[in-house]
Amino acid sequence: MIISRQKEFKDILKTVELRNIFIIGCGKCAAKQHLGGEPEVLEMKKKLARSGKNVVGSTVLSSACNIASWDDVLNQNPDIKKAEALLVMSCGGGVSIISSVAEKAVYPALDTESLGGVCRDTIVLEQCGMCGDCDIWLFGGLCPVGQCPKSMRNGPCGGAVEGKCEADERKCVWDEIHRKLKSLGRLELLKEIHNPKDHSKRGRRK
Amino acid sequence: MIREKLLSGKFTITAEISPPKGTDISGMMKEAGMIKDAVDAVCVTDNQRAIMRMSPVAACCALMREGFDTIMHLTCRDRNRLALQSELLGAASLGIKNIIVMSGDYPTKGDHPGAKPVYDLDSVQLLDMISRLNNGIDLSGNRLEGKTEFFAGAVSNTELTEVAIMKLEKKIKSGARFIITQAVFDPGKFYEFRDHVHDAGGEQIKIIAGIIPLRSRKTADFLNSNIAGVKVPDDMINRLTSSSDPGALGIEMAAEIIKELRGICDGVHIMPVGTHENTRKILEMAGL
Repeated sequence: MIISRQKEFKDILKTVELRNIFIIGCGKCAAKQHLGGEPEVLEMKKKLARSGKNVVGSTVLSSACNIASWDDVLNQNPDIKKAEALLVMSCGGGVSIISSVAEKAVYPALDTESLGGVCRDTIVLEQCGMCGDCDIWLFGGLCPVGQCPKSMRNGPCGGAVEGKCEADERKCVWDEIHRKLKSLGRLELLKEIHNPKDHSKRGRRK
Repeated sequence: MIREKLLSGKFTITAEISPPKGTDISGMMKEAGMIKDAVDAVCVTDNQRAIMRMSPVAACCALMREGFDTIMHLTCRDRNRLALQSELLGAASLGIKNIIVMSGDYPTKGDHPGAKPVYDLDSVQLLDMISRLNNGIDLSGNRLEGKTEFFAGAVSNTELTEVAIMKLEKKIKSGARFIITQAVFDPGKFYEFRDHVHDAGGEQIKIIAGIIPLRSRKTADFLNSNIAGVKVPDDMINRLTSSSDPGALGIEMAAEIIKELRGICDGVHIMPVGTHENTRKILEMAGL
């Protein structure tokens, strides 16, 4: 799941200078995080109206990043034609896909943070570093590229204090990697020296 | 020179010096002047605590011109593998011989919190890369016109988890010839750390113990709550609290720690909070 967070409403107002706005929500990751589903879209509609904007309509697409036909979206939502701007309540993937098919000014309502997930109703951030070269099994299934702020692959830095990461409030993932590999009886994997990542494999377009 | 002295088995003294925040090196030179001839080398930091300062290459050169032997810090935080290698080639060409590598404090800890954290390599990979440059090849396997001859080291905390010990072993395997530790306050606990280092690389891996002279109870509390890997024991804190002259006591305690460490490790590294005004006195009291 793509993890996003809500932009501050005042910042949205500042960027969307145009008056006639159509709001597009996303039924996938953004809806699951309560950031771009039906209730959030309706709430946004009210707030924009209160701030003097003319919301010409709204919809929640099943997935903002997966548009089979923009014509179909237009047919189902003819009010889009009246809009000068589209406010998209999805991750950057959805915003970009809609921008690429809609001949309108498109604005994001969310900030995209990381590739994470939801586990037992808890949103977990930054699970995968999207390095394009996955070898997560060497680390007990915990990605140090995504989960260590310094992306250290040969062990922890010296910055953690009592298991707490130097960079922010998270626990040091290296303690968890160690615990997991120990429980799997694979501690010898930690002795392996890992070469620098090949960043040319990252985010390559076909 | 520090490398020869350390490898010959003589007790070696180093001290930390920060490059200036700006172009005026007079403050740095004054600071270094206070410890001239009292230390074997100065360790020159690289944007320490992620606070932007003059390049350690330039600062090392200024200090070498005044007759100091230097150890240059190099962190993984600010440079990718191209920049690290070109910095190292430049440093070598200017006469810098000793390098100590570290991950580097995270940018949000410093004065440019929005900086892009690089960490293209980690300290293990950086040490391995230095070994390659010393062998006349770059990280991609290309031959160099003129190789480096660095004496490379790493840093470490002294109380280590099992996974941190494994990383320390990798640093030694990848070319660390010496280790400078985080500040030591309990020399009794230092034996265990020394054994880890010697188990990984033998006694030829030299260990320089970090020393932070305490000035007051406040310094001790600050270190305990803000500096990873530092633990000032309660009895030291109590002594400082009840002392009428905590400054003088701090100097005495630092000298005591150094005396105890003399038989355990290969040298000490003085890194005061603030200035080196007491460093010479501490070393004299420790009999060095």
